[in-house]
Amino acid sequence: MVIIPANPSLMLSNNDVYTVVDMVIIPATTGQMGVLPGHVATIAELKPGVMSVHEGNEVTKYFVSSGFAFIHANSYTDIIAIEAVPVDQIDPTLVQKGLADFTQKLSSATTDLEKAEAQIGVDVHSALNSALSG
Amino acid sequence: MHYEPKLNPGDILVNRVKTTSWKCVVVLTNKALSFAIAVISLESTIRVEKKNTDLRNSPELGFCLSSILDQWQWLFSVAKGGVSSLQSPLAQSLPSDLPSLLTSEISLSFTLNLPEEGLLGVRSISTQVVRNRMKSVKNIQKITKAMKMVAASKLRAVQGRAENSRGLWQPFTALLGDNPSIDVKKSVVVTLSSDKGLCGGINSTVVKVSRALYKLNAGPEKDVKFVIVGEKAKAIMFRDSKNDISLSVTELNKNPLNYAQVSVLADDILKNVEFDALRIVYNKFHSVVAFLPTVATVLSPEVIEKESELGGKLGELDSYEIEGGETKGEILQNLAEFQFSCVMFNAVLENACSEMGARMSAMDSSSRNAGEMLDRLTLTYNRTRQASITTELIEIISGASALEAAK
Repeated sequence: MVIIPANPSLMLSNNDVYTVVDMVIIPATTGQMGVLPGHVATIAELKPGVMSVHEGNEVTKYFVSSGFAFIHANSYTDIIAIEAVPVDQIDPTLVQKGLADFTQKLSSATTDLEKAEAQIGVDVHSALNSALSG
Repeated sequence: MHYEPKLNPGDILVNRVKTTSWKCVVVLTNKALSFAIAVISLESTIRVEKKNTDLRNSPELGFCLSSILDQWQWLFSVAKGGVSSLQSPLAQSLPSDLPSLLTSEISLSFTLNLPEEGLLGVRSISTQVVRNRMKSVKNIQKITKAMKMVAASKLRAVQGRAENSRGLWQPFTALLGDNPSIDVKKSVVVTLSSDKGLCGGINSTVVKVSRALYKLNAGPEKDVKFVIVGEKAKAIMFRDSKNDISLSVTELNKNPLNYAQVSVLADDILKNVEFDALRIVYNKFHSVVAFLPTVATVLSPEVIEKESELGGKLGELDSYEIEGGETKGEILQNLAEFQFSCVMFNAVLENACSEMGARMSAMDSSSRNAGEMLDRLTLTYNRTRQASITTELIEIISGASALEAAK
């Protein structure tokens, strides 16, 4: 199993060099998706959530904001995320504060655009929250 | 006393050699800051009033070079066109017998301390001009050196980001392939350029490639539009392709580039421009001295779907299962837009990187050129100075020996 999560803020691997791992669990819009070698070729859209990379007994968890995952038939997987942060680098107090802020914004939103923006904020922060608690 | 008359060829000096007779000399040349004197007799036409006979200098001074110069001050008069008045401030305090100390046969050549400004008909190079030029070349060199330093440090900052961002488009190319030759109705050429100049040929190459793409893709029932990013390409393209430009964006590089900024730009382009294929033209950064004008092609979701169903260039895409979303079209739409923003992000960074590299090498070569020019000017300056010193020496010596002979 091989992945490349490529994103501007964090490079998990160098260009062209794939990391070999056992399994990766990605937060697809349809639900968590475990990818093992030989997975059927798939294009999946990502939602904010935890991506965990399993390497033997070691599990590394990253929080990804959004993006796409391309699972190729040859056991290569490309995961493109705009932001990917190791879960242990996230500050819980800021997450709580952000969640409260956006919940308040959502209730006071008047236009559809404001509502949608606040909804995105709430979604991301609740995903962050559950990532931290889970 | 030191006197520096300003003499031009053609000036006439009036010299009273005897109490009753006057001689007039015409300045023929001031080559190497000296002038030869020819004797012309104008006795009948020149009158000079002698006002004062007070002895300021002793008569013996007559043959000493400096006193000769003093005398010339008295004798000196600009007499173009037959004017014959004494204009020297010392004219009133000159000895009446001093001129008689000079021989009546004047065949002297004097070396005078003429000012260094270029005189009319000067045959030697004025060192002042060369000195000024040297100074300005030196200043230019300072500026280009500073610009090179700035570009180098900016390059270091952006190079890592540009190289890392390549990971963003590679998965898309792995999935969708690169189809620069795809034949579609509505092409949009996105030209990326810099806002500032002095960066070599990177902007003109992207413009050239964009124009070539325009010619390649234009045709009956085929439409090509431009989207211009950056001041430089805009300035060039506005001249002849004004009607084909549907959008232009400038000052993207003002703040450090980040993904959010680029995605806003990509969003703007997607909203305002109708396209079947976006062709992004930028300079891919290879090394500080090498940039490749590059075309990245992003297809619209409709074209992707059509091509994959027809089993054309994107035939393999059909073998992929598509997860999430209501329809395949929706996912493809998201995918194409995301691809565009990712490709743009990389392209903008690569272009910024190439710009800095190009500026660095351009400024490096101009600093070197300035250095070479400075060397040449210094050589000319020293040579001229040496030549004039030599000439002056020769003239002093020959003047002195002429006086000696006259004794």
